[in-house]
Amino acid sequence: MAILAQNRAVGTGTGGDKTPPVPAVRRFFRANAFGYALIAPQLIGFAIFGLVTTVQSIWLSLNSINALSGVTTFVGLENYVNLITGDRFPLVFTNTVFFVAAFSLLNIAVAMGIALLLNNRLRGVNIFRAAVFIPALVTMVAWALVSRFILQPEGLLDFLVSFTGAEETPWLRSRWLTLTVIIFVQLTKNVGINVLLCLAGLQAVDRELLEAAETDGAGWWARFRHVTIPQVSPTLFMVFLLTVVASFKVFEVILILTNGGPGYETNVLSFMIYDEAFRRHDFGEASALAVILLLMIIVVSSVLWAIRKKLVYAEND
Amino acid sequence: MTKRRTTPRVRIGRGVNYLTLIVISCVFLGPILWMVLGSVKSDAEILSYPPTLFPSEFKWSNYAQVFELQPFARQFFNSVFVMALVCALTVIVSACAGYAFARVKPLGSSILFLVLLSATFIPPEATIVPLFQLVTSLGWIDTYYPLVIITVFLHSAPIATFILRQAYLGLPKELGESARLDGASDLRIFLTIYTPLVRPSLAAVVVLAGWHSWSQYLEPLIYLRDTEMFTVPLALTQFYDPFAGPMWGIQMAATTLSVLPVLILFLFAQRHVISGLTAGAVKS
Repeated sequence: MAILAQNRAVGTGTGGDKTPPVPAVRRFFRANAFGYALIAPQLIGFAIFGLVTTVQSIWLSLNSINALSGVTTFVGLENYVNLITGDRFPLVFTNTVFFVAAFSLLNIAVAMGIALLLNNRLRGVNIFRAAVFIPALVTMVAWALVSRFILQPEGLLDFLVSFTGAEETPWLRSRWLTLTVIIFVQLTKNVGINVLLCLAGLQAVDRELLEAAETDGAGWWARFRHVTIPQVSPTLFMVFLLTVVASFKVFEVILILTNGGPGYETNVLSFMIYDEAFRRHDFGEASALAVILLLMIIVVSSVLWAIRKKLVYAEND
Repeated sequence: MTKRRTTPRVRIGRGVNYLTLIVISCVFLGPILWMVLGSVKSDAEILSYPPTLFPSEFKWSNYAQVFELQPFARQFFNSVFVMALVCALTVIVSACAGYAFARVKPLGSSILFLVLLSATFIPPEATIVPLFQLVTSLGWIDTYYPLVIITVFLHSAPIATFILRQAYLGLPKELGESARLDGASDLRIFLTIYTPLVRPSLAAVVVLAGWHSWSQYLEPLIYLRDTEMFTVPLALTQFYDPFAGPMWGIQMAATTLSVLPVLILFLFAQRHVISGLTAGAVKS
């Protein structure tokens, strides 16, 4: 019982102690009470607002709920069947998969690319580092509003693009192009954090190894591929996993730039939950979407966790 | 530091490196600059094509309008007030839990810690419907309670607990043991011996919690109806004319007002801000 051993030896009747032996239950309680008391607020709070509500979401998804009249009837899997056989969900699901995959991969590539540029000993490199990080400080809403200002028809972006001779581009009124624009807006805001993390990983790379590779005649690419990447791979993997999980939470950009439209062309799961629940007042369907969203996150992060051994280079871990 | 001869090739490489960084910086800072410029333009000028870089005349009244159309000062106070409470509560809750997970380790704490980690994977949208029902039944609509309490327990404290657990783990065991021999109580060891030593991590946690609270949008959008209670991000999206067209100039003025304090804070506490926002992602 290492746990008990760590704590103050409570009166167990040893070493000339004259107190009678304490019953096991009380001994356990005395040894652990302080720890539980410290953990309790956080854990009880999380249990109520996180775990109970998650279970509640699952329960609500099995019901047909009219939020306006307050009528709730148990319908089993009907919400799910309606969603999957409907024509909106497949579109939104595809958008979500595209968004998560493209956003996460692009994010890690851009973060690593910028980190490599910042990793050189250049004068004034700190100014560039701050520049990349500054959007991470402003709220997503502010960043999205400013982006909409730039993207508006006959706005700054149209003007800049007009030099290439292009006609007015429907930045916010198409499907794939608009999703790409949304990815770009979301990415520019928070990539600075990932850049700093990648930079920290790069600066921890063993210089001697790099120099050894150089004396062996390895070129820039070979050094990067066989020395740098393996060494930063644990950092990269962690950053990637967190980025994937975060990419399911895209909300403000879609609300402000497109409202999920035209139609459902640029809608994703997280936004559709809000849309169903608070604009169409269909809590049952919204909860079914919430459960699907949770399942997606669980599946994707489990898969990534399972294959991390193949992605991360580690010395005899 | 190895001395390098600057061959032409190295010089060209360096030039390309600089140039790329300058272009990239424009992408990141350009929008902020454009926002500030837009905030002092008239709507007519904003809608003219081609767009002007500098406003032909500075329309400072955009800033006055922000406060006339919305109770913006009050909304700013709401945001700051909620943020302060979130920071304070997060520090208290997560320092206690983090210390317990790192040092006290009561029976079953490692399993409980894993349960807590699952918080990172629950997006706010996934539980917003039951939370809305809960908030409604508690009578918390249009109050600060949900924005503080739910945010702390669900979003900011779990990550903070993780960060502080790491910090407490990094301190030597002997500190507490020798204090115990001197007869210090558990609580005293926690508060006066270990906690002062994790001050940098506490600062990081405050930044992270504040950032979380300040930028929240979905929750206020759902829990608040009364403009007097709105937080800043929610207020920013309210500037529309009667025909539902955005009032660009006024909106950019309001956005500028919301961004500037944060940037100024960043200049003064750069190190803490960076460690706060990156600590949430580092898992070593």
